[in-house]
Amino acid sequence: MSKAIRPGESDEDRLDRSRRIQWIDLERLSDSHCLVVGAGALGNEVVKNLVLSGVKRITLVDMDRVVRSNLNRCVFFSEDDTASDNFKSEIVAQRAGELSPGAEITPLVARIEDIDLNALARMDVAFGCLDNVAARLHLNAHTYHLGIPYVDGGTYGMAGRVQVVIPPSTPCLQCGMNRTHFKVMERRYSCTGNEASFYEPKMPAEITTTSVVAAIQVREAVKIMSGREMDCIKHILHYNGLTNASENLELSIDPQCPMHSSDNR
Amino acid sequence: MPLRVKVRNAESGATVDMELEGENTVEEIIEGAAGYWEKDAGAYVLRRGKKLLRGQQTVADCGLVNQDELELIPDPEGG
Ligand SMILES: [Zn+2]
Repeated sequence: MSKAIRPGESDEDRLDRSRRIQWIDLERLSDSHCLVVGAGALGNEVVKNLVLSGVKRITLVDMDRVVRSNLNRCVFFSEDDTASDNFKSEIVAQRAGELSPGAEITPLVARIEDIDLNALARMDVAFGCLDNVAARLHLNAHTYHLGIPYVDGGTYGMAGRVQVVIPPSTPCLQCGMNRTHFKVMERRYSCTGNEASFYEPKMPAEITTTSVVAAIQVREAVKIMSGREMDCIKHILHYNGLTNASENLELSIDPQCPMHSSDNR
Repeated sequence: MPLRVKVRNAESGATVDMELEGENTVEEIIEGAAGYWEKDAGAYVLRRGKKLLRGQQTVADCGLVNQDELELIPDPEGG
């Protein structure tokens, strides 16, 4: 006997509207394991979008605690979290988990530099939701080496950027960096070279640009997890929130970049 | 023989002409333009049309020609 349908049954399936976009492979999304590094503004939005998209397994890395100045752009944080000195990764994991029963979001209160790299090898996609060049380069190097697609986001005021790195075919983050990036990195460590006293400039940030950048990051990852890598950004999208202009800019592999030497493939 | 290019400031729309030799690098163009506009200390990239130019490439490597238009874009670092 053929299966009978019931009126209104499509409204009982939480992913029914996603299923209507036929190229999205919800089964693969559900089976995928994503690494999100940074549980600040971009991290909040990326995890929210992943969970709502049907991703079940997420590891979220961040060592910081919630502070009041996070509250203009972090959907999962509250005044209570600042008063209780809660860790960002733990709060995002708990509250994003409430959006999707069955989601396993594992918070790691740590710096990405301190994470066991063998754990990274099991990831399907990594997200950079970071606020500094050094951590981005660390994540870039390890994901490229392990062959894990890496989707990096960045914001500054109303400017945004998303880079999609799919090893070994695309350029990596380091390929696109120049002396101005390395000067920014040096300035952060310029006081004593000691991490405890490094200089941390406060950057302008607001939620609408954060939302746009994080949404693009997750959309690109959904393409990757659905086998649509050919439709991803090639290679860097720059977004200007003042004019609403965005452009995909091509980058070539830097032959001097250590990520692309034969030893690293 | 030096060539002359126009560099546009993506944030303000302002432009400046820059005289370049074949051995000048993209990094030098970025730092020259960022210094001219007294930009905040931050990371910047340079595009020519749809292509981002890599920092260590020279003017000759990039095939820049007289009257080319380049754009200086801030490379956002925040998260
Ligand atoms: Zn590279």
